[in-house]
Amino acid sequence: MAENISKAEMNAELETDKAIAAEAAAQAAGGHNVDDEKKHPVVLETHGVTIQFGGLTAVDHASIKVRKGRITALIGPNGAGKTTLFNAVSGVYIPTSGEVLLNGEHLEGKRGFQINEAGISRTYQVINLFRSMTVLENVMVGMHTRLKSNFFSDLFNTKKRREEDAEAREKAHEWLKFVGLDEFANAPAGSLSYGKQRLLEIVRGLASDPQVILLDEPAAGMNSTEKLELDALLKQILNMGYTILIVEHDMKLIMNISDYIYVLYHGALLAEGTPEEIQANPDVIAAYLGGEDDVI
Amino acid sequence: MAVFKILLINGLVIGAIYGLIALGYSLVYRASGLMSFVQGDMVTIGAYLGITFYRVLGLPFAISFVLTFACAFGFGMLLERGVIRVLLSRNVIPIYIVLATIAIQYIIQNTAQAFYGSVTQRFPSVFPNKTTLTVLGVTAQTEAYLALVVSIILMILLHFFMTKTKFGTAMRGSAMDAMAAESVGINTSLSTGVTWGLSAGIASLAGMLLGPMYGVYTTLGATIGRKGFAGAVVGGYGNMYGAMVGGLLLGLVETFVSGYWSGTYKNMVAYIILLLFLLVKPTGIFNESAIQDV
Repeated sequence: MAENISKAEMNAELETDKAIAAEAAAQAAGGHNVDDEKKHPVVLETHGVTIQFGGLTAVDHASIKVRKGRITALIGPNGAGKTTLFNAVSGVYIPTSGEVLLNGEHLEGKRGFQINEAGISRTYQVINLFRSMTVLENVMVGMHTRLKSNFFSDLFNTKKRREEDAEAREKAHEWLKFVGLDEFANAPAGSLSYGKQRLLEIVRGLASDPQVILLDEPAAGMNSTEKLELDALLKQILNMGYTILIVEHDMKLIMNISDYIYVLYHGALLAEGTPEEIQANPDVIAAYLGGEDDVI
Repeated sequence: MAVFKILLINGLVIGAIYGLIALGYSLVYRASGLMSFVQGDMVTIGAYLGITFYRVLGLPFAISFVLTFACAFGFGMLLERGVIRVLLSRNVIPIYIVLATIAIQYIIQNTAQAFYGSVTQRFPSVFPNKTTLTVLGVTAQTEAYLALVVSIILMILLHFFMTKTKFGTAMRGSAMDAMAAESVGINTSLSTGVTWGLSAGIASLAGMLLGPMYGVYTTLGATIGRKGFAGAVVGGYGNMYGAMVGGLLLGLVETFVSGYWSGTYKNMVAYIILLLFLLVKPTGIFNESAIQDV
C-alpha cells in the first residue's frame, strides 16, 4: 500500500516536469522515501563497472543498486550490455575496472562458484541445466554449497549425513511443488518442456537461499499463459523475502513487476527510475525507437 | 566346457582391466571433451611405480597400491593443470591438445625406458605362497582373480563416489554443464582437475594389476590403452557404465577368439567390432550422444 502511494507521489512529481533526467528524478524520489530505503537496504551494487573486450567497451561505467526485497530490472536494446553486466556480477567475466559489492563485500575478480557461495544465484539466457540428472537432483545440486557433508561423511554414510540428505531431499521437493514440478521430480531435467526448464532453473537458483537472484530473460521462449504465471511466480518469490535482479525484453512483464529499472544503451546507463518514470523518459523512448529490433 | 570356463574367467579378467582404462577415457572426455593418449600410458606408469614400491622398495602390495594411485592421481592433475588447461585457455583446436598428449605419451615411454631399460621387467608375485587359485574348477594365476575382484570393487567404489557423494555429484555437474555448475557453487576447475587425477589413478591401478600377469615393459599401456579406448567407444563414449560394459565385452570377445580360433586374429576381431559400432551404432551400447549437434 505504502508502495502505491510513493509511486503515485513520484508520478505527480513527474507530471510537473517530465523532462527531468531520470537520475535526478530518482534521487529526488529517493529523498522522499527514507523509510522505504531503510526497509529495503542496498544488498548488491556495482560502482563504475566497465568491461572491455579488446577495443570494444561492452559495459561502460555502469553503477546500479539492488535493494533487498525488491525487483530491480535491467533493460535495453539488444547488445546494450545487460547480460555482460550480469556476467561481471556473477563471475563469468572479470570487470576491466569498477567494483561489485554484495553487502559491502568485494566480488569483482572472484570466480563464479565463490560468488555463488557469497550469496548470488543466477539463471541463464540460454538454459543451463544438468540435463541428464533428474529434476530433483538439479535442485539438490543447487543446495550444494549449503550442505555441510564432506567426502568422509559421504564415504562412511554417517547418521548426520543421512539426516542432512533427507532434509535436503524434502526441501527440494518443496521447491518443486512451489513451481508445480514435483510430479516430474524423477524425470531427467532435459525432458522437461522449455517453460518448465526455465522454472527449474529458477528454483535451482533459489535452493541455495541466495541474497540476490539474477534472472537473465526468464520469459524468453514462454507463451503468454506461461508469462502470466511467471509474473505471479516472481511476485511470490519476492514475498518470500528474496531479492531479484532481472534482465528481460518483455516490457509488459518488466513494467508490471519491477520496483526500479535501469536502462542500458550501448553499454552505458541511459536512465533509471520507477517503471512510470522510465516509460515517460524521452531518452529511453528514443533509444528504443532508434534501436534495431526492440520496441517498447 | 572346461575350456569355455577358462576362457570366460580370462576374458573377464582382461575385460575388467579394459573397463578400468575405458572408465578413465570416458571421465576425461566428459570433463574436458577431449581424448587423452596419456591415459594408456598411465597403465605403464602404474606398473613401473608398482615395481618401484613393491619390488625395489619392498613395501607391502596394499601400500604400494595406494601409493601408486596417489602418485598417478597427482600426475593426472598436473597434466591437466600444466598442459591441457594451458592449451584450452589459449583456445587452440582440440586436435592440438590430442597431439600434445601423444607427445607426452612418448616422453613417458622413453623416461620409463631410461629408468628401467627396454627389457620386460618382472613384477614379483603378490601371493608367493599361493601362485594359483582354483575357483569353480578353473585354475588360474591368483593375481588374475585379484585383478578381477579389485577391478569390480573399484568400479563399484567409483559408481558410489560419482552418484552418492557431494564431490562426485559436483564432478558430474561440471562435466555436464560448467556454466550451470559454477552458478550453483561448484568449483569446476577443481572438479576437472580431480577427474583427470582420478582417471590417471584408476589406469595406474590397472597397470599394477596387469604387471604380475604380463610383465612390465614401456609400451604395455599404449597397446592395452587402445583396447580400453575401443571399449569406451563400444560402450558409449563418455558413459561410465558403458565403459565398464564395453571393456568387458571386448575382453571376452578377444579371449574367446584366441581360445577357439587363433590369438593372431584377436586384435583384428576386436577392432572389427569397434568399426562396426562406429558405423552402425556410434552411440554405443549405452546410447551416449556421439553425433555432434550442428
